[in-house]
Amino acid sequence: MWMRVLKAEGLKLRRSPVWLAFFLIPIIPAFMGTFNYVNNLGILKSQWYSLWTQHTLFTCYFFLPVLIGIYCSYLCRLEHSNHNWNAMMTAPVPISQMFLAKLMMGAVMVVLTQIWIGVLFVASGMLAGVTGPVPFELPIWLLFGAMGGIVVCALQLCIALVIRSFAVPVGIALMGGILGIGILAKGYGAWFPYTLIALGMRANNPAADMVVSEVQFMANCVLFLVVFSFFAINWLSRRDVVTG
Amino acid sequence: MKRAVCMEFLKTRRRKLWLVVAVMIAVQLLWCTWSISNWDARDLTQGWMFFLYQFPMLNCIIMPVIAAVVASRLSDVEHKGQIFKLLETIMPSKRIFDAKFICGGMYMIGAAMGQISLMVIFGIAMKFTGPVPWFALGSYLFFTVVISLTIYLLQQVLSMLFINQMIPMTIGLIGSFIGLFSMFFPQGIQKVVLWGYYGVLMLVGMNWDQNTRIVDFYWTSIDWSGFGVLLVFFVLIYGIGRILFVKKEV
Repeated sequence: MWMRVLKAEGLKLRRSPVWLAFFLIPIIPAFMGTFNYVNNLGILKSQWYSLWTQHTLFTCYFFLPVLIGIYCSYLCRLEHSNHNWNAMMTAPVPISQMFLAKLMMGAVMVVLTQIWIGVLFVASGMLAGVTGPVPFELPIWLLFGAMGGIVVCALQLCIALVIRSFAVPVGIALMGGILGIGILAKGYGAWFPYTLIALGMRANNPAADMVVSEVQFMANCVLFLVVFSFFAINWLSRRDVVTG
Repeated sequence: MKRAVCMEFLKTRRRKLWLVVAVMIAVQLLWCTWSISNWDARDLTQGWMFFLYQFPMLNCIIMPVIAAVVASRLSDVEHKGQIFKLLETIMPSKRIFDAKFICGGMYMIGAAMGQISLMVIFGIAMKFTGPVPWFALGSYLFFTVVISLTIYLLQQVLSMLFINQMIPMTIGLIGSFIGLFSMFFPQGIQKVVLWGYYGVLMLVGMNWDQNTRIVDFYWTSIDWSGFGVLLVFFVLIYGIGRILFVKKEV
């Protein structure tokens, strides 16, 4: 049953324009970050590490939350239109599986995005003439960033389920990302879903350890995931579906 | 026309569109509070200029998103039920286009008014040095409204033309980021990017001393040629967008 639900979610994404956002949006922060890096070589002397700070500066706070917001809004869009919730809720599929399949598809897209961000980072570094080997920590930064991204994905799915609009959840994601700058600066990054991406990707200081331990980071991610999934499944189970 | 506009406002009833605008303004308020929380006496002397420098930068990101969300909400309601088909049998397509523009434009003007109120209240409460620069604030409000309406117009055209709201939303977001990025470039390049006009029509510039790390703001003259180009953008988007919508098969 689970695999069939997952397959159905995959089918909904086939040939969808969401892949346009997937390819195009990460290119902008990569370009902006590399441009910034090349123009400030006097201050940014840590080669790949400096380039990473410039890339993630824009990616983590603005682009990734928005991109995930677009993914999640898109994942719920089909159900919100043409009375499809009625069909979904009367299908012989447990509600929990319905939500978890959407979350899984979102998570896969987040992971693919992180890989794409990694590719763009390495390509930008080469084009910018950064010498030395690519940091061995890169896969770890991307992995932890993906964990944070999946948490944002769960939250955005909750928002997209509750608010039957494509645009509003995306706007909320951007606001969350912007607010995250202040919250991370105040030291509460591990407790705000939108800052988990920046924290995991070591956006502020890739050469140093994370502000919180890796165990606490993962524990917070799991906690947020459980809370958001519980909320979404509960919401779908108890609320009468509003379609149209 | 009056009835068509009233109808548009009726459609937004209980859709909490004002809430979206209010939340985004609240984010600006929080940002503002955070930026000025550790200010000393020297910073307070430049308070008004700081606001008039900081807010256009925030606008570059936030206002295009408000425009995209409002335009999408106003158009999506018609796409979902294929109401455009019905509407065009009741009134001319041009009137639908204009009514939606007036309705969405009110939200953009409301957002700009909310911002300026915040700036004045904060400035007075924080006891910024010197009198309130009403002329500069008025000019800022005027330019913000014109830029925001032009961006909204583009978003409205896109949202009305594309049934899938992901496309206008993505274009709006990419545009806002390019607008922010264009601030790093010379004004000639900034003027090509519609979303970069918050930077082109800024009334305040900044000098940053790398050694002392001291920031100084200064008044700049208004770029009237830039404003002229913006008006050309508005006329072109309005003209082309309206023709495309009128000729579109619904």
